[in-house]
Amino acid sequence: MGEIRNFRSGNHDEPPPHGSMPRRLAAIIVGDIASYSRLMQADEEGTHLRVKRIERDLIQPSIIEHHGALVKTTGDGFIAIFDSPVEAVRCSIVIQQNLVGRNASLPKETRIEYRIGVNLGDVIVEPDDVYGDGVNIATRIEGIADPGQVYISGAIYEQIKHKVVCGYESLGDRKVKNITDPVRVYRVLPDADAVGKTRGRRENTLIFLLGVTLLVIASGVLWYLLAQPHGKGTEQAAAPTAAPVASPSPQSQPRDAAQAPQPSPSLAASSPSPSPSAIPVREPEMIAIRGGSFAMGSNDDATERPIHQVAIKPFSIGKYPVTVREWNECAAAKVCGFVAAGKDDAPISNVSWADARQYAAYLAEMTKKPYRLPSEAEWEYAARGGTQTKYWWGDKLQPGMAGCKDCGDLAAEQPAKVGSFKPNPFGLHDMGGGIDQWVEDCWHKTYQGAPADGSAWSSGDCTSHVLRSGSWKNDSRYVRPSNRDGYDTNVRYPTHGFRVALSP
Amino acid sequence: MSILRCIALSLSLAVLSSAALAQGKTAPKDAKLYFITPYDGAKVRGGFLVRFGLRNMGVTHAGDDYQNAGHHHLLIDVNDPIDPKEPIPQDKSHLHFGAGQTETFLELPPGTHTLQLVLGDAKHYPFDPPVVSDKITVRVRQPSQRGK
Repeated sequence: MGEIRNFRSGNHDEPPPHGSMPRRLAAIIVGDIASYSRLMQADEEGTHLRVKRIERDLIQPSIIEHHGALVKTTGDGFIAIFDSPVEAVRCSIVIQQNLVGRNASLPKETRIEYRIGVNLGDVIVEPDDVYGDGVNIATRIEGIADPGQVYISGAIYEQIKHKVVCGYESLGDRKVKNITDPVRVYRVLPDADAVGKTRGRRENTLIFLLGVTLLVIASGVLWYLLAQPHGKGTEQAAAPTAAPVASPSPQSQPRDAAQAPQPSPSLAASSPSPSPSAIPVREPEMIAIRGGSFAMGSNDDATERPIHQVAIKPFSIGKYPVTVREWNECAAAKVCGFVAAGKDDAPISNVSWADARQYAAYLAEMTKKPYRLPSEAEWEYAARGGTQTKYWWGDKLQPGMAGCKDCGDLAAEQPAKVGSFKPNPFGLHDMGGGIDQWVEDCWHKTYQGAPADGSAWSSGDCTSHVLRSGSWKNDSRYVRPSNRDGYDTNVRYPTHGFRVALSP
Repeated sequence: MSILRCIALSLSLAVLSSAALAQGKTAPKDAKLYFITPYDGAKVRGGFLVRFGLRNMGVTHAGDDYQNAGHHHLLIDVNDPIDPKEPIPQDKSHLHFGAGQTETFLELPPGTHTLQLVLGDAKHYPFDPPVVSDKITVRVRQPSQRGK
């Protein structure tokens, strides 16, 4: 606590707390645990301990990282103030996303979920508390938020809408208790994954209904045709029944017709091309990652120090490591150095950094999109999936999350096909374990002097480059999202692969 | 006699080729891998230079498949035996020198550590018989500016 106070009085131009009514404009975060009474009833001491741990390990550090100040913690919640609305909302998102990771392994009834409300207001700041209309409104907004959600007021929204790259869902003007004017409220959809989820549920229902309808029609047609005298009937019946299967969309997209390095005809066969002149290239499935800021590194290993704050611009990254199938298209085009022998769905392995670079360049050339290797910071940001825990799913090892020597059951054949383990909160598979992954950065033994803008660190001795993720041959220490290692740039090794990134 | 010689020749060829298939390329019997520095039992402070010595074989880039040549691997505090059927592991205690390096600057935490060199072939497999150095021990002391 003392540290936080110092921080506040040290870094902000506010009058000493004992002056006459120090007022200031501040972004106020109010957080509160949903169903706290129920949790306490079920396990008083356990819940208390867990809440304290969350406050110590997650809430306080996140507030400090985002240049805020914790005003106070109540039994089941906290109030913090920030100079910047942008930082306040980022901090809220970080807290909520971390909690997703922490809760992932717990049964629903024991999860600790916070509601968070953010408002901008002119408030009276005292050493141990903060007062004013603005605080009350933040509290009311928090009160109507769903557990696990961040709700913000219109005033905050106006400040951040073009700065924090998130989805915002307007909930309209809400009348809140004891406040005369209605308050405009927005729900923050923190990352691509969250947006996907809300949409996903609706879409799933729709797809299900569509499927049912098509099935009914198909069986009707089938029955009709079978009831008719035999002949042309059965062949026609095949067409409608096939229809519901068509939902998974092919990965490849129409290409610009201007450039035409002809890949071999065998490649062209696999994916349907909407325009006849398109060049079919199998593009890896990409996931859009919204930008943000995070604490990169850890104290678990000397190479991961010092922990430093890094801002990440929006980018996309492969949902899986690049596969043998994808690689072999590049090899068939005589760009990539060798034809890989593994199963199509296995990650490409035994590639050097230079090989990985070559594939990304090939993909960029064929698609005219800026494909590249991710920077080390982007990789870790994506691997953490918004969490600050040891692993993306929490602090303890769990089976089914990652492929490593002591992570749980490993299939006999390795490397296992991509996507064999659960995706992280950003929807990415194999970000830790499975196959080592090259990133763009040159190897440096520590983060001393590392860039803070999320770009690749390309200066210095570049005879080796950075590997991330750890492989099936490493133990669980290597699966941590902060783990890093260096390896000779031009040397191939059987556990080394990569995934691609894409600038927007 | 000539038939016998033929059989012997084909037998030896078969043995050789099967040995080649089972990875583990053969190494000359008199090949010797050793540490130039540090010596066994050395006491060092902070970082120190480790230089690799190899006699009767050559050092080459990983991936280059020349007879009687390989690249260095430095094993730090490794107690597991070397598996001749698997590539030499790659992690923080198995350092690879696939670009043909013959020395490295090592920074280890204070305490006693063991070092051992293992020569790997083009695909990082140990040779047959394995070309390894003696396992040496170094004692790393606290860096002077912090000690006492």
